Amino acid sequence: MNHTRSGLGFQGRLMCLVVALMVALGTLGILVPTSAQALTVNKATASPNEDGGSGVIGGIDTRLTWEATVDEGETISGVTLKLPQDGSFDGSSTRVTVLDGLKRKPVDAQVAVQGTALQVALSEDAVGGDLLRIEVTNMKFPPEGGDVQVTGTATVNGQEEDLTPSPAIAIIANTPLQAAVMWLDEQPWVAAWNSNQFLGMFFKPQLLLTSFASLFPGWLVCLAIVVIAYPFAILLGLVFAFMKMAKHRGVRAIAVTYINILRGTPLFLQIYIMFFGLPMLGINIDNNVLGVIVMAVNSSAYLAEIFRAGIESIPRGQYEAAESLGMNYMQTMTCVILPQTVRRVLPTVTSDFITGYKDTSLLSSVGVMELMMFSKNLTTVTGNITPYIAAAIYYLIVTLPLIRIVSKVEARLARSESGGGPRPKAGAPKATGVEDRDAEVVPGTAQCAATPQDKALVLAGMPMVEDACQVAVAAPAAEEIPAWRLLASSVFGTVPFGAASSKGESHEV
Amino acid sequence: MKSKKTAVPEVAPALDGDMAAKLAYEHDKNLTTHHFVEGEHPMVRIEHLNKAFDDNVVLRDVNLNVWPGEVVVVLGPSGSGKSTMLRCINRLETPTAGHILFKDQAITAAHKKDLCDLRKHLGMVFQNFNLFPHLSAKENVMIGQTKVLGRTKEEAEKEALAQLDAVGLADRADYMPAQLSGGQQQRVAIARAVAMHPEVLLFDEPTSALDPELVRGVLDVMRDLAENSGMTMIVVTHEMGFARDVADRVVFMEDGVVVEEGLPNEVFDHPKNERTAAFLGNITEI
Repeated sequence: MNHTRSGLGFQGRLMCLVVALMVALGTLGILVPTSAQALTVNKATASPNEDGGSGVIGGIDTRLTWEATVDEGETISGVTLKLPQDGSFDGSSTRVTVLDGLKRKPVDAQVAVQGTALQVALSEDAVGGDLLRIEVTNMKFPPEGGDVQVTGTATVNGQEEDLTPSPAIAIIANTPLQAAVMWLDEQPWVAAWNSNQFLGMFFKPQLLLTSFASLFPGWLVCLAIVVIAYPFAILLGLVFAFMKMAKHRGVRAIAVTYINILRGTPLFLQIYIMFFGLPMLGINIDNNVLGVIVMAVNSSAYLAEIFRAGIESIPRGQYEAAESLGMNYMQTMTCVILPQTVRRVLPTVTSDFITGYKDTSLLSSVGVMELMMFSKNLTTVTGNITPYIAAAIYYLIVTLPLIRIVSKVEARLARSESGGGPRPKAGAPKATGVEDRDAEVVPGTAQCAATPQDKALVLAGMPMVEDACQVAVAAPAAEEIPAWRLLASSVFGTVPFGAASSKGESHEV
Repeated sequence: MKSKKTAVPEVAPALDGDMAAKLAYEHDKNLTTHHFVEGEHPMVRIEHLNKAFDDNVVLRDVNLNVWPGEVVVVLGPSGSGKSTMLRCINRLETPTAGHILFKDQAITAAHKKDLCDLRKHLGMVFQNFNLFPHLSAKENVMIGQTKVLGRTKEEAEKEALAQLDAVGLADRADYMPAQLSGGQQQRVAIARAVAMHPEVLLFDEPTSALDPELVRGVLDVMRDLAENSGMTMIVVTHEMGFARDVADRVVFMEDGVVVEEGLPNEVFDHPKNERTAAFLGNITEI
């Protein structure tokens, strides 16, 4: 703008330049004197105060070590350190050391503390080349954490000058969880508890608490994988169940092959093949998505067998009754057979869901960040088994209620199908109290009471299921199976030696 | 498909309707209390019916006519083929050879689709009731009406309640089958079949699975149906009293053959065939 004004003479231009220069100098003048080149801040560190870790947590006592070197030709008579808001020097004790090379100078320091400020006055000036070290114990960083820099001022040659901010110290936020851990740390009973080798190694309260917090995302991943996978597994399972019952031999063969291969190989192996095989083919799918796919495909084979056995366990008479009413195949299936199948297979399907949920743990072997992975990492860091226990609790939170539901539903099913079903709701007329030609309800007359063959079929549907609760699914048949066989099946995972276990299986191929 | 089959017997083609009606009338006129109407055709015609399960021949050349509104009771020892014959009539079993005609329409030749249509007119009551256990009594009676006959829910419910009332179970409409006694279940099953307004009702030993004290209730319902609704009924049973009282005609079968047929009093009191006599003798002795 100045240069465009043609009316302005040389004088005027000079004036402008001078003004500009003065403004620039003035700005510098503010900066230069306060930037303490007289003192080079070397380091600022804090000692770890995290239980079992190497982190520094805000809001909890720690020790700050701050070091600076006095530049040549300068004298320092005092230093004031400042913390960000919410930090505190209150209640701290300070040790000040002045070193000339390796020699310690006999310097006394007067320390005044006020909130976020710590004022150190030296009895004798520190001169060029001296190392000034200030150690503050029992000080606190801000609880909200973050990268914290220690700032402050120094008295250089009698003048107050700002210090260059120290290197940042990473501070962990002090959450309520941390506070709880700290509180536990202070409890004598916790100390006593942990002094027992077993309790301290498996059930350390503090670590249990932190484990719950850090395993939570893994738990969500587990749940998400199995919850997303399951609807697909059910659909696929139904498709293959009907394929296995199809009239066409080729269709049956496809279903049988699919089901037998998936049930006949370990899930672990299937995971490896999919996770390492697909990338080899140049197919790269997100780990979590691939996890869902593997779980869905694996479960579908088991579900197909469960559905097939369920459908085949519906007595012939149900088909005949539906047909005699004039229903076609679709109507018979959707209105009569499948609704009953759902009731019958619900416990088994739930058990399979439980198995699937637990089996997501195998995905940790290929790097899916699920519960097992998180707990393994935490155990590696802490050298303590407690994170595994926390993981176990996370698994049980889901499985225990489901197991309970399964046994409840089973009991109800067994009761209603044996004909002695639940009595009508209150208010409904009592069966025996009403004038009726055959008033007495006779138990055991319901037509749907499963025949031994049906039970064998139901049982045959799940010979390869892996845990005890799944075997228990055949509960309506339980009274007909010798106890030793049930026991053996819960140990070996199959119904051993049983005709039942192989009957429904292989005759098709 | 893979099973070895005995040679299929050669059977003459089904007779023409008018011709068959004439012959049937000649054959049956003195064997039933049915009141014949001029030019009437049989409701169900069974001609040369043969049925074998693999090597086991169950029915040999069975011939039988059932007239509209007639109640035919089929008697005979276990394994005589009574139930199989009944199940052939609505094609729950496929005959090996022979013809079954419903209103001169061949059931035996029907395709799958036509079969569903035919079965609407042929109600069946099973020995084991075969109620749908996941549905209440009322829903059991409704489901065929809504799914097969296409009635609205309201219509079906009204019909269901009426039929349940007719079998004395109006107050059990919302009970599940498992909450009902066997006799009650069988009466619901009868209501389910009747609600479809079939033209023929087939009863396959409806009281055999019941405790003795529950039998009467079911028989009363059947008696009521036979006497008051004019329903054509084919009843396979061991209930001699019912047969004597209710039947228009009694058919005695043994070894897959109709051994004797006739008026109830004739068959019971003066059986012409010695096997019939022996069977009835055995029964009454017990």
